[in-house]
Amino acid sequence: MVDQLPNYGRESEMLSALGMNSIDELFTDIPAAVRYDGRLPLPEPQSEEEVLRDARRLLGANVALSQRVSFLGAGLYRNHVPALVLQLIRRGEFLTAYTPYQPEVSQGMLQAMWEFQTLICELTGLSVANVSVYDGSTAAAEAINAAHRIHNRKAEQKDIIYVSELTPPSRMSVIRNYSQGGGIEIRTLPHNSDGTLDLAAAEQAAGACGVYVEQPNPLGLLDGGLVQLKEIIGENTALIVGVQPTSLGIVECPGEYGADIVVGEGQPFGSPITCGGPIYGIFACRDAYLRQMPGRIVGRSIDVHGEVAYCLTLSTREQHIRRHRATSNICTNETLIALMGAMHMSLLGPEGLHTLAMRNMAACQLAKAKLGTIETLALPHLSGHHYNEFVIELPGPAAECLDYLDSQGIIGGFDLSSWYPQRKNWLLVSVTDQNSKAEINLLAAHLAAWSSAIIKGAGV
Amino acid sequence: MSNLFDSHGAPGSGWSQPAPIMDATQVSLPAELVRKKPARWPRLSESEVVRHYTWLSTRNFGIDTGFYPLGSCTMKHNPRVNETIADLPGIADLHPLQPERHQQGLMAIFHEMQNMLAICSGMDEVTLQPVAGAQGEFTAIRCIQEYHRSLGQDGRDKVIVPDSAHGTNPASAALAGLAVIEIPSTTDGRLDLDALRSVVGEDTAAMMITNPNTLGIFEAEISQAAEIVHSAGGQMYYDGANFNAILGKTTPGLMGFDAVHYNLHKTFSQPHGGGGPGSGPIGVKSHLAEFLPSPLVKRRPILSTDTGAIDEQWWYTWYEPSKSIGKVQQWHGNAGAVVRSWAFFRRYGHTLEQMTEHAVLNANYLRHRIHQCAEEQGVEGEFKDGSPTGIVKHEFTLSMLPLKESKGASAMDVAKGLLDHGFMAPTVYFPLIVPECMMVEPTETETKETLDDFAEAFVKVLQVDAETLHAAPTSTPVGRVDEVYAARNLCLRHPIDD
Repeated sequence: MVDQLPNYGRESEMLSALGMNSIDELFTDIPAAVRYDGRLPLPEPQSEEEVLRDARRLLGANVALSQRVSFLGAGLYRNHVPALVLQLIRRGEFLTAYTPYQPEVSQGMLQAMWEFQTLICELTGLSVANVSVYDGSTAAAEAINAAHRIHNRKAEQKDIIYVSELTPPSRMSVIRNYSQGGGIEIRTLPHNSDGTLDLAAAEQAAGACGVYVEQPNPLGLLDGGLVQLKEIIGENTALIVGVQPTSLGIVECPGEYGADIVVGEGQPFGSPITCGGPIYGIFACRDAYLRQMPGRIVGRSIDVHGEVAYCLTLSTREQHIRRHRATSNICTNETLIALMGAMHMSLLGPEGLHTLAMRNMAACQLAKAKLGTIETLALPHLSGHHYNEFVIELPGPAAECLDYLDSQGIIGGFDLSSWYPQRKNWLLVSVTDQNSKAEINLLAAHLAAWSSAIIKGAGV
Repeated sequence: MSNLFDSHGAPGSGWSQPAPIMDATQVSLPAELVRKKPARWPRLSESEVVRHYTWLSTRNFGIDTGFYPLGSCTMKHNPRVNETIADLPGIADLHPLQPERHQQGLMAIFHEMQNMLAICSGMDEVTLQPVAGAQGEFTAIRCIQEYHRSLGQDGRDKVIVPDSAHGTNPASAALAGLAVIEIPSTTDGRLDLDALRSVVGEDTAAMMITNPNTLGIFEAEISQAAEIVHSAGGQMYYDGANFNAILGKTTPGLMGFDAVHYNLHKTFSQPHGGGGPGSGPIGVKSHLAEFLPSPLVKRRPILSTDTGAIDEQWWYTWYEPSKSIGKVQQWHGNAGAVVRSWAFFRRYGHTLEQMTEHAVLNANYLRHRIHQCAEEQGVEGEFKDGSPTGIVKHEFTLSMLPLKESKGASAMDVAKGLLDHGFMAPTVYFPLIVPECMMVEPTETETKETLDDFAEAFVKVLQVDAETLHAAPTSTPVGRVDEVYAARNLCLRHPIDD
């Protein structure tokens, strides 16, 4: 489009400097046999206002979570992104920069990412963090590969990684794609009927390369047993814990109970859900894992005058130096979204973090108590402690219940049969700091109405 | 000097939030799970946070600040309406697990992008799932790997890359578990067909190559290369990092490729964000299509029972092919980047070819002007072309080896000198096959005057004595940063007193 091409109309002036008469002469190096000669069968060019009008029409036809009462989470959570985050992130100096290969003119992003690393280390209780990977699933997958590289030589169970059986299939699929090349065999760890990890069964993971579990787990359960897990699996088996990072405002950080690597979906800090991307994956680990870490790491250094200056460091792990021996193929990451996270964390401070976690936990526990009073519903993990979400068992298929709730203007949660096919009647209800008491009461009323109608209809 | 951790807020000060909706004393958590030591985050007021990050931004160089000729990275202007569009609640506030009837508008955009990318690349099917170029490479190699396995050819475990390839190519192949064979380029930096013939065989899974190559030269013998690889039973993979050099002029499909990735953050202007996010969709020919990861969007004529359709014609559905490799990111990929790139593409429509023409025109003009200015100042001997060639595509390489030999100043010294002229430096020391390499990519969004200024600045830098150049830059927020010190004295987080 003309307005994107500053030299439009000046082509001949520039071509004549090159001794050429037409643009076509710049493409004579492309053999005729492979030339594309037709006009691209694409629409007419549009002005900014026409594009915006179409975007508003198309995206306006979507149902945004904010237009409804929503209890949908399952890995991505509604949050409040402070206004300054959305405004400062559009500073062109951040938005339109790239990887800080020239540190002298990239100190802003380098320092911001070094501070991000510090914020994540403090949050997780570990000593090093990188500047982000793509999302929580690739963070988990990269962690498993790192654990394999570190421990396989001495492992009693060579090439074996144990993963919680509750891990959502979409996340498991990413893990399988990333780990198959290394010859890693994924085995699953069972859970008890109350949703907690079966610690007796977890003993079989001792001597493997690593174990991947989540806290809270994919059903929203905070599992006290996980604090014993490192002792069970032993020093030579990596403990990898996936977290919902805001929970660490009140929940013990995995670094304190022996985690070697902590990963997670950073999104609740600073990022809108954005249909699942771009978001950012958190990756933190102990010092011993540092040189097997994927992705960019910023170090504090000095400049020629001895003043504090920042730069990328330990690049010899990375693809542009190490090529096929790199720790990962990652190059472009999610820096800008991690910066949004850093801004949000900076605003919160320690007390704000605690309050945010408490708001999420309180909303979840209030909803659980409220839905627990409905006689036609069951709570399979009633005795547990939940963060953000919990399971309710309905008297009929969750898919039908969600359709009904949708017709009432409520996005009721996630149908767990898409993860666990045998659980047709399980609904994962997610409640965050953004849900009000009135919304929870509305959900309860509609769930009660639907459930009793189903039971009556079924002749119970 | 502003430091985030140098904060003086009193305990209890800080960001206001609504109270929890249940009395906090009623919230229960088993003792072993209660956090004992709070995260030692700083306590800052909103004004301090705004000022800190604004100050940081002033110490950062972006395209908005000035010319950013970082070769291979395609640092073009990012139209601002794309950001406005990405903020609309219909994308920012959308959850990938919502029902299809809530996402019809986004799915229509996905469908249009799949189609557009397929048309521009001569591929049959496109998935928007991969979130970066390297992930696109990995995804396509996984599809190729499963394709060979489906034919019972598990022994195809070698990937061939030229020694001029991007580092992500061999790294992505290795991540998939394939061995990498690097073949040398000819002395002028082109693909060596004899070298290729000598390594293909029954164990060839694929060849990964970009065209134009990383020296900015179009590989005229690409069809022959494809024939060599195909006749050995291998697949041809097109690294789309340089797609902006050929879009509308040829397609990877015409050149004989079976799979391709696109960098939406390069060719299609998703902002680079200081290191990301990006987006790396892939396109494949039909024989690989059934291995693609979801989500793919299909459409069918609308039925009377459909509610939530965006028009009276089409209903969009998510689709996972029967032999899909599965997922490489948990959700729909970087949907926000796809939407921005859709907005970029819509500005051009069928005139996308003009973008390519201007990118190539600017590259050739800048290369010419650099040589011309150097001759005028008598310093044309201080550098040479990375490869002798008449025309280049969207980027070109220069070797600073003569300068190094004549006065001991390196490509890095020249790069630092350019920073003092207010320009971002070109990519240095890549591709590896050009000694003392500088790789320059101006993009289509720079004015002729900017290119003239850069050429003059470049030549001025060449005239500076080596000692001064070693001390550059001097006008930047910090002086030359000691990267060796950083690696030897690792300090990866702020030291907070216990």
